[in-house]
Amino acid sequence: MRNVYLIFRRDYLGYVKAWGFWLSLAAVPLFMLIGGTFAVFAAKSSPVRYYAVVEPASIYASAIEAEFVQDDEAATQQARDLAATMDLRTEHQAALESTDAATPRKFILVPAPASSIDALRPYLMGERLVSGPLGDKPLFAVFIPSADGTSLEYWSDDVNVGTLRAVAANAMRRLARQDALSEAGLGPDFLAEVDANALKVPAHRIRAVAEQTTTGSKVTMADKAPVYVAGGLAYFLWLMIFSIIQYLLMGTIEERSNKIFDTLLTSVKLTELLAGKLLAVFAVTSTMMVSWGLFAFGASLFATSQIPGGASLLSPFLAAFANPSIIIPGLISFLLGYVMYGMIFMALGSLCDTIQEAQTLLSPMMILLMLPMFAIFIAFQDPGSPIIDIASWIPIFTPFLLILRMPHNPPMWEIIAQMLIMAVTALTILWLATKVYRAGAIHGAGIGDLGGVFKRMFRKKG
Amino acid sequence: MSTPPLVMTRATKRFGAFTAVSELSLTVPEGAIIGFLGPNGAGKSTSLRMALGVMQPDTGSISLFGKPPEIATLKRVGFLPEERGLYKKMTTRATIEHFARLKGLTARDARARAIELLDMSGLGEFKSTRISKLSKGMAQKVQILSTLAHRPDFLILDEPFSGLDPVNQQVLEDLIRAEHERGATILFSTHVMEHAERLCDRIVMMARGRKVFDGTLDDAFSSLGRGARIAVIEGFDLAGALAPSGFEAHRAPENGPGDAWRISLPRGTGAQDALRAAIDAGAPIVGFAPEEARLRDVFVSLVGEADAAALQESETGEAA
Repeated sequence: MRNVYLIFRRDYLGYVKAWGFWLSLAAVPLFMLIGGTFAVFAAKSSPVRYYAVVEPASIYASAIEAEFVQDDEAATQQARDLAATMDLRTEHQAALESTDAATPRKFILVPAPASSIDALRPYLMGERLVSGPLGDKPLFAVFIPSADGTSLEYWSDDVNVGTLRAVAANAMRRLARQDALSEAGLGPDFLAEVDANALKVPAHRIRAVAEQTTTGSKVTMADKAPVYVAGGLAYFLWLMIFSIIQYLLMGTIEERSNKIFDTLLTSVKLTELLAGKLLAVFAVTSTMMVSWGLFAFGASLFATSQIPGGASLLSPFLAAFANPSIIIPGLISFLLGYVMYGMIFMALGSLCDTIQEAQTLLSPMMILLMLPMFAIFIAFQDPGSPIIDIASWIPIFTPFLLILRMPHNPPMWEIIAQMLIMAVTALTILWLATKVYRAGAIHGAGIGDLGGVFKRMFRKKG
Repeated sequence: MSTPPLVMTRATKRFGAFTAVSELSLTVPEGAIIGFLGPNGAGKSTSLRMALGVMQPDTGSISLFGKPPEIATLKRVGFLPEERGLYKKMTTRATIEHFARLKGLTARDARARAIELLDMSGLGEFKSTRISKLSKGMAQKVQILSTLAHRPDFLILDEPFSGLDPVNQQVLEDLIRAEHERGATILFSTHVMEHAERLCDRIVMMARGRKVFDGTLDDAFSSLGRGARIAVIEGFDLAGALAPSGFEAHRAPENGPGDAWRISLPRGTGAQDALRAAIDAGAPIVGFAPEEARLRDVFVSLVGEADAAALQESETGEAA
């Protein structure tokens, strides 16, 4: 164990002392900070624009304004629906529901300063200003009914901002429906009333009788959190394996090109060398992932502290993470998956002399890694899919898919059988990869001579 | 009697159809300093890798301190491989410390030893310098120090002089002598015969995977006839003049003042005797040189011109 520790220590310190490691470590939080700040800044600094509608009766303008109000109400309702799935205390629930989720209005209706497009041109091109609640500003857009009455023309100097036009189009559709209803002798809110009276379809979670008596059947975030946590864990494993490729390849190439194997192998056993190296890369990627995870957790805590009862929003996720039926198979799958993929990459790296040679291996490795990614995506969408059931028995997919299936309570015999298959595959890969590593590192077999690699792998004596 | 650090018995290693080492038997007794000689491709490095257990022989056996090579026994061995390699981003001190710890030293002892060795070898001011910033010779020095850091009982050095300038070659020779005086057994391979002549009390010569000589330097030299070179004024028949004294002389091809002759020295006579005989015979001498046998000559006599040419190529390559 001492030798494994010493190899681990050297490799780990070698990686973390490199400036690239710190750059990678800082990149994600920095990207999140910059991205978040930019998004908030963009939302806050987005200019408030004036628009006008040229019409005598203000029918279209009212319809457009009403559409803005509808959008605001829909956003607030969506936030309330989400809040309803959280296990919040009553006062927090009420406070959250009363929160206005609507974003501040970015388009304000002002009276049209002229009635013809020629007369409006200087206002639209910023040569003249119009007065409004926020002072004098250029006119951003104007709506003018066409001469034949079949369209409401949208005029603006900046046609790339399409929000206002989209809202107006929705408003015109709503107006047309209301006119049709009115002609049919029905009130303007007829459809809304019909919708309101339609049967609701609330979701209920079926549970054992005793459990249902205490917790009820209401679907809450606690029911969905295990799926999200399992999905996160599977993606985390994938991301970790994706990240280790370069470390394992480059690290092994460095040692091969440095001709250091003979020196090392007169001090440590090959298995100790491999274990130390694999652990070091695991620790390096874990350091990165845990740092990013802590940052994301801190950011989540900060974000949830900004809303009433927000701290309890995270509790379903933490509870799911601490659930042994998810986390134990999850961790076992995680470790076996890491060993399987890590040993494959390390063995391939031992056959490369140069970075160019390693780059030729990256494409097949990426394809190998994209397959589980597709499987994760399908499993997340439809965990009961037969293709996922079948794929979960294929060892290269099992680590990811078993994690994803755990929240859906697969039969225990399947869990045990799949873990056993994974363990046997991991041991087989370990055995084969050690032979490839020996052929590459000690006997100098290269990626360009696969026949030689096989011969050297299965020599009776090293 | 103590267990020899290394015993190789009829060790053979093949790579496909090519036999790298054929039935090599070799015993390295405790306290010996042995030169393992031969041109590139003679099988020296493969033999040393087998001795260390990095490679297993196809047939035959290896015994290191009385046991098959294993990590526990290898803690007593210091190995300098032919193909030098260090972690380029590590500092000199950390490098020596790391390898010393892998050989069993504690963190504190390894650090103290690394500093001691660096100071002793004149690299003290480079303790915190990365290997990548050092010259090739300095990096090689650091690797040699890493090999010595745990005070091994048995040093196996594969081409230790390769890549060093003459000054550092001398420093390394001194270091090897110092290690020998400390009590270490030393086996080093080289294709430069002069190092072996100066350092070894025993040599093993390899050619084409086979051992062609195993003995002391005296044994090696005595296997060759000794001689002297005498140059005389052109036209003088030195062979005829020396014949009555029992010396045999042949024309030598060298260019120089006068005619050069090589004199074969019969057992019991020396170069001075040949010179005296020539003077007594009235030879007009313009040049004289006792001809000392060199290991190169021994090698040529043992393996023939083809392998000797390979050796010369190795030496030329090294010099370049």
